Amino acid sequence: MAEGFRLRVCFRKAGRLRYLSHLETGRAWERAARRAGLPYAVTQGYNPRMKVAFGPALPVGTAGMREYLDITLTRFVPVAQVQEGLRASIVEELAPVECGYVSPTEPSLASRLTIAEYEVELERGVPPQELERSLDALMRTGGLETEHKGKQKFFDLAVALPKEPEVMSDAGRAAVRVWVRMGPHGSLRPETFMSAAIGPGRPVAVTRTELFIEDEQGWIRPL
Amino acid sequence: MNDVWERVEPLLRQVERPARYVDREWGVVRRPDAGYHVALMYPDTYEVGMANQALQVLAARLSTLDDVACERVFIPWVDMSAAMRAHEVPLFTLESCTPVAEMDMLGITLPNELTYTNVLEALDLAGIPLRAHDRGETHPLVVGGGPCSHNPEPMAAFFDAILVGDGEEALLEIVASHRASMAAGLSREESVRALAGIDGVYVPSLYLVGDDGVVRPVDDAPARVTRRVLADLDTYVSPTCPVVPYADVVHDRATVEVLRGCSRGCRFCQAGMVYRPVRERPADSIVRDAIASLRCTGYEELSLTSLSTADHSQLEEVLRRLANRLEGTGTAISVPSLRIDSFTVPLARLLGDGRKAGLTFAPEAGSQRLRDAINKNITEEEILTAVDQAFTAGWRRVKLYFMIGLPTETDEDVTAIAALVERVFATARAATPPGERGGLRVAVSASTFVPKAHTPFQWDGQLPIEEVRRRQVLLRQAMPRKGVELSFHDAGSSLLEAVLAKGGREAAAGVEAAWRAGAVFDAWSEHFSLARWIEALASAGIDAAAYAAEARDRHGALPWDHIDSGLSSAFLRAERERTDRAETTADCTFGECTGCGVCPGLGVDVVVAGGERRG
Repeated sequence: MAEGFRLRVCFRKAGRLRYLSHLETGRAWERAARRAGLPYAVTQGYNPRMKVAFGPALPVGTAGMREYLDITLTRFVPVAQVQEGLRASIVEELAPVECGYVSPTEPSLASRLTIAEYEVELERGVPPQELERSLDALMRTGGLETEHKGKQKFFDLAVALPKEPEVMSDAGRAAVRVWVRMGPHGSLRPETFMSAAIGPGRPVAVTRTELFIEDEQGWIRPL
Repeated sequence: MNDVWERVEPLLRQVERPARYVDREWGVVRRPDAGYHVALMYPDTYEVGMANQALQVLAARLSTLDDVACERVFIPWVDMSAAMRAHEVPLFTLESCTPVAEMDMLGITLPNELTYTNVLEALDLAGIPLRAHDRGETHPLVVGGGPCSHNPEPMAAFFDAILVGDGEEALLEIVASHRASMAAGLSREESVRALAGIDGVYVPSLYLVGDDGVVRPVDDAPARVTRRVLADLDTYVSPTCPVVPYADVVHDRATVEVLRGCSRGCRFCQAGMVYRPVRERPADSIVRDAIASLRCTGYEELSLTSLSTADHSQLEEVLRRLANRLEGTGTAISVPSLRIDSFTVPLARLLGDGRKAGLTFAPEAGSQRLRDAINKNITEEEILTAVDQAFTAGWRRVKLYFMIGLPTETDEDVTAIAALVERVFATARAATPPGERGGLRVAVSASTFVPKAHTPFQWDGQLPIEEVRRRQVLLRQAMPRKGVELSFHDAGSSLLEAVLAKGGREAAAGVEAAWRAGAVFDAWSEHFSLARWIEALASAGIDAAAYAAEARDRHGALPWDHIDSGLSSAFLRAERERTDRAETTADCTFGECTGCGVCPGLGVDVVVAGGERRG
């Protein structure tokens, strides 16, 4: 399994293409890799497929600024050349941000990436002080009962949110930065958390701004 | 041009699969500053329409005109159309998100009868009056085309013009004519009238239906509209940089058309009649376009398309060359519509080298007598040999298509389908190593015969629906159960197809009434209501069951007599008579001319790239 060169690509899912599903985004990237002429490895067997693996799924409608995929190459291609090839082979809304090689023995992105940073933009008119108060009040309750697609779930906020949410008070904008811990049992959706905190005032846009690997030294970027 | 994205976007949060509506795919051509804007529409969802090769061909042809923008339009799914109506968002094009009503021309392909209400749905969402005579100077010209143009009457009232036949050259002539009319300041009526001067273009408003049922021109329009035929397919390259969708579309792959037309002569098959003559593209062009297309799109699958790809005189050479070029890339090559008798051992091996896409054969009938009557020209031995070869080469699944209700069919013919399937299964099993037999599947799909215009069966009635259902039960009872998956096309949809396929101009009122009663996406079983259609057709004076079942006088007038497909009616009549005697007619690309009339009538000839076909 540990053969070849594992290329890690950090890319965006932005603009109108935040409405793509995880599957659609994945397919788009596989085709971009083919168009770029990358020497990708294929799986053995009845239906040979490109050896490619993606980070945690991003929901339809949520944008991502630093999403990740790993693709196995059969020969080494200089990073600058890969980047140039990919940039010319995919639309701007899915553009690669950076690329690099990682060890072929590195565990999968899906298992390594456990922290997600989101920016939730809210409808205008929510004063920052009020926002702070609502968030504090919710955090003090310690837990959150949610329902998604008919399934009840309970989140211990101290575990689900590895860091206190931050209100961003840029000029004229109401936004909150939320850090969420992802695990095998799912993660708290930032929109769900925000509506629990501030009521039905719908988030305007949700963007996943970063994904981190959590280790002894803290949170590190996968590239 | 008004970009309505700001109004579209808020709706995307509440609908299924928003990727259908966002554009921004790889391969999109954007020309916001063009002087002329065409919207090309497939009257179904994005997923279905994006697979349509004709629209890709036409878009590629239009893209050669620098000052013309060609944009895509599909039918929003019911959740989206409801949201659009609630928020007064008009139907928009994908590329520039412009209201369709602001286009200069709206081109609509008519792939089958079950999309007719979707056309009305689109016009309504776009704010374009449904009937051509209600449209004003600012509305786009609404031009139709595609398979259903061969009997345009049920939809004639909704179109300003309808192109019959190949569009590669005709569409550009239509655009040029309209631009010239606009530049000359002509009225809508004059512009539309000018289109009638283009070969293959039918302008319904210039024709009236007589009391005898014959459609005649009111003044100097041609008495018959002659189908356009592109004499040499190799005049143009196959589109090599089509738009690559994100959404999971029906046929999500690169396609190269390897030949057009089929003269095997199956008597029920409209495509096999109205796309004559056979015109093959040479192997060099096919390989060149296939490689270019895979490179430009990044697709992982390539399909060599046509009505009967295995008939191509150079197919083995093409597959061998492609296999060499694509080795190690994980690219699958698929060949849809394989004829059983052209599935050979080398072909099985060549196709088996890449990923094995599904294998589909269409025996159509179970007994030799009925296969002869419909001129399928396939023996049971050929069917079993092909199955044996495919399963020996590694396939584990095969899909077989049959039809119920073909002219002259008896109960014995129906039960013969089951007997044939049983032998197919036994043959497949014998060719499969014991350890792999668990995955062995034979899928059987049985549809209902629909009589179509310009075929030898155009005078026949459809079997009454009660009788269709009785024969379906008969088939199900006779069918072996183990390893066989039997499915039926809905007989109700086939009944509607028959009414609209046989219908004249009077059917338009029925189509409109059905749409007003809520009919849309009739090809989607969850949206189809036969009861609603029967009521709507009745309101237009049509008794659906009787109309579909009615057999017509073989010397009387037909609603499509003014459309000249090139086939002589004497040929079609003779073919119908041979049906009753279960006599077959050979394919002219393998032997002598059968006198169908197309080549001399349309001034074209059969093009066989490799010089000859091996039968």
